[in-house]
Amino acid sequence: MVERSGNGRDIIVDMEAGLEHLSRGTGKHVSRLLAVLEPYYRSMETVRRIAELAKELGIAEVEVVANKVRDGADRSAIVDFCAAHGLALTTEIPYDESLGQAERGGAAPIDHRPAPPAVTAIRKLAERLIRDDHRA
Amino acid sequence: MRIAIAGKGGSGKTTIAGTLARALAQQGREVLAIDADTNPNLAITLGLPTSEARDMLGLPRDLMARQAQADGSSKVVFTADPEQVLKDYGAVAPDHVRLIVMGKVNHGGAG
Repeated sequence: MVERSGNGRDIIVDMEAGLEHLSRGTGKHVSRLLAVLEPYYRSMETVRRIAELAKELGIAEVEVVANKVRDGADRSAIVDFCAAHGLALTTEIPYDESLGQAERGGAAPIDHRPAPPAVTAIRKLAERLIRDDHRA
Repeated sequence: MRIAIAGKGGSGKTTIAGTLARALAQQGREVLAIDADTNPNLAITLGLPTSEARDMLGLPRDLMARQAQADGSSKVVFTADPEQVLKDYGAVAPDHVRLIVMGKVNHGGAG
């Protein structure tokens, strides 16, 4: 039996692609922002701006989730970028063909079998978020 | 916990949001997923049947209001009973993840 946090329901918000929701000030009432980036410059640059804005809005926890990581070159590009800009990189999700297959078939990635490696990485993220929440 | 997920379009943020919501629910958490993207796709990633996802109503704007907080910030709140709002506009995805869609513009609605 998993103990529920005192706050009741967990809320997960899929934000608008741009920064609009953050700019309108709604971001202040989120406890954590996950900024998702891909290993190419414009995506990383977007995340840098998102993180900057989130800090201005007073979001306490801002962390970077690296997605679609194919190899060591992708990994070092992201690690270097995050280090250069003081971004907290916490999660790496591998590039995963089977996610596309799942979605083309109209299934949720989490229901796809065998379990896609990307889903396994997101499950680990969920477990860590729960541990952090219990500690808070 | 209240977690926002942001990133450039195509970065996979919706896949991560939906999968994270289901994964948390499978760990015994009660989860509300909110699709605030103007191109709402979270329903499919959560595993809601396509037809049900398509027919979902966006949350009408007049059900939300901005409320000033003591610290000078503002907070978006429901103007109606939240449980009723979830009942009227929400969907229930597998693992009992509740979903509401905020970014969608309803046909014929005031928007």
